[in-house]
This record gives sequence, structure tokens and C-alpha cells, in this order.
Amino acid sequence: MKRMGSRSLLAIVLILPAWCADAIKWPASFERLAKQAKESVDVTLDSSMLQLAGGFLEKGDAEERHVKELVSKLKGVYVKSFEFDKEGQYSMADVESIRSQLTGWSRIVAVRSVNSENTDVYLKKTGDQIDGLFIIDAEPKELTVVHIDGPIRPEDLNELGGHMGIPKIGPMHGQDKNTRKDGKAASPETRSHADNFDDRGGE
Amino acid sequence: MTPFEEQLKKALERREPSDGFTVRVLAHAKQQDRSELEFGSRFLQRLRSWRLIPVLAGALVITGGGVIQRHEREARGEAAKRQLMLAMRIARSKLYDAQVAVREVGR
Repeated sequence: MKRMGSRSLLAIVLILPAWCADAIKWPASFERLAKQAKESVDVTLDSSMLQLAGGFLEKGDAEERHVKELVSKLKGVYVKSFEFDKEGQYSMADVESIRSQLTGWSRIVAVRSVNSENTDVYLKKTGDQIDGLFIIDAEPKELTVVHIDGPIRPEDLNELGGHMGIPKIGPMHGQDKNTRKDGKAASPETRSHADNFDDRGGE
Repeated sequence: MTPFEEQLKKALERREPSDGFTVRVLAHAKQQDRSELEFGSRFLQRLRSWRLIPVLAGALVITGGGVIQRHEREARGEAAKRQLMLAMRIARSKLYDAQVAVREVGR
């Protein structure tokens, strides 16, 4: 009996860090940002909520049908978005506290624009399988973080574009540039973004 | 004998009952017994129906609870659906912006 108890404890000790490592923790500062923001969006849908939502998506509607197919395998969809009245309402530390948790994720896009509109797109991969998509969009008056947990490709979301009134754009990979600046072969996801790819995985 | 006495004698003289009198009397008595029994069973039935009231009330509560639960589930489902669609739109829009930026830089 004692042995069983210690085995269970050992299993918990071994599994818990792996489980915790998977989960992205929202920084406490995000609650403060939500209060400061002119508008904020907080979407938290775990697998059970996704299942529930999926049951209410109508097959007759093309957009909903596509989303239904997309979310059927997902484990969670989380979005935090804050829109502020003026600039400087959030700090880079807020963004870093999220970015620092993305160890083991591959950044496939890092856009840095002169007007401080920065977007990072990360993928979590296990072999060839994509297990998650993470988007951090930091603009002077807006901060948006999207975490889609589960098998999803950026192309899948792109497919939604036509239904959601957002124009479709070509696939995220498949352009001519197959090497990054450092000359190393790029994975298919990084090919189209060779000029923007930042290998540091966080700044 | 006076006429009055004559009439009295006639009135009180023994007469044989008509045919089937006994049968009719017995049938009537039987019917009366039956109606008394029916009254008793009706009373019992009424008693039973009173006993059914809590059962019916319980059934009503359970059914009502089920309906409320279904409504709540529907409301939660619709809210989850709206959240999901909003999340997908935001994700899609941010991804689109990133793609456009990447393409512009690539030109």
C-alpha cells in the first residue's frame, strides 16, 4: 500500500512538471491591463468548452462549418487582447513574461516595423506535427496574444479568411527563399519569412 | 258490517305477491350493496390520487429542472460559440497582418 502511494506520488512528481511546462501562464499584469484598456477581449476555451461550442456551430454556415472542423482536434483556444486610449499603457516586460514561456516553440515570423508594430508567430512542433500556434501582436495602443493549443496550421486559419471577410493570402510557406540569413536550411514554415526570421527565440 | 268495515277488511286481506317479486327484491338489495362498495372504492381512489400529488410534484420539479438545465447549457454553448468565433477572427486577422508585412518586406 505504502509502495503504491509512493509510486503515485512519483508519477505525479514526474508528470506535473511536464504538464505545467505545457500550460502557458498568463501574467498577473494582464488583469491590470484589462482594467486600463479601453476595450479588452478575454477568450478562454478549454477542450470541454470547445466541444460545447462545436456543438452549436451550424453546418449550414460555411464559416462555422470550417471552424467546427478546425476546432474538433484542438485542446484550447485562448485570446487576450487589449486596446488602449494612449500609447505606453503596457510595457515590454508584460510581453516578455509571455515570450519567456515559449521555450521549445519555433518562431516562424517576427515582424518589426518602424512604427513599433511588432508581430511574432510561433509554432510548437512535435516531429512533423504542429501542436500549437502562438501569436503576439504588440502595437503602440494594442496588445494581442493568441494561443491555439492543438494541431493547427497557419494555413488552416488562412482558409478561414475567405469566410470571415478577410482576404485570403497565399500559404505561409512555399516561396523561393529556402535559406535563412545565416545560410542554414530553413524548415518549410520559415522559408517564406527568411528575411524576417529571428533565430533568437525571444529578445 | 258497515261499508267502512267492509272496505277495511278488503284492504287488509292477504294477497299473494306478483310473479318475480322475490327476484326483484333480491336484485335491488344486491345493487344497493354494489353502490356502497363503489362509494368505498371511489374514496380509496381519491385517497390514492392525493398520494400521487407529491409524486407528480417531484416529476414536475425534475422535468422543470431538466428544461432549465437545457436552457442554461444552450446559453453557455451559444456564448462559447461567440467567443470561439471572435477568437478565430482575431487570430486570423493578426496572422493576415503578419503575412502582409512579411510579403511587403519580401518585395
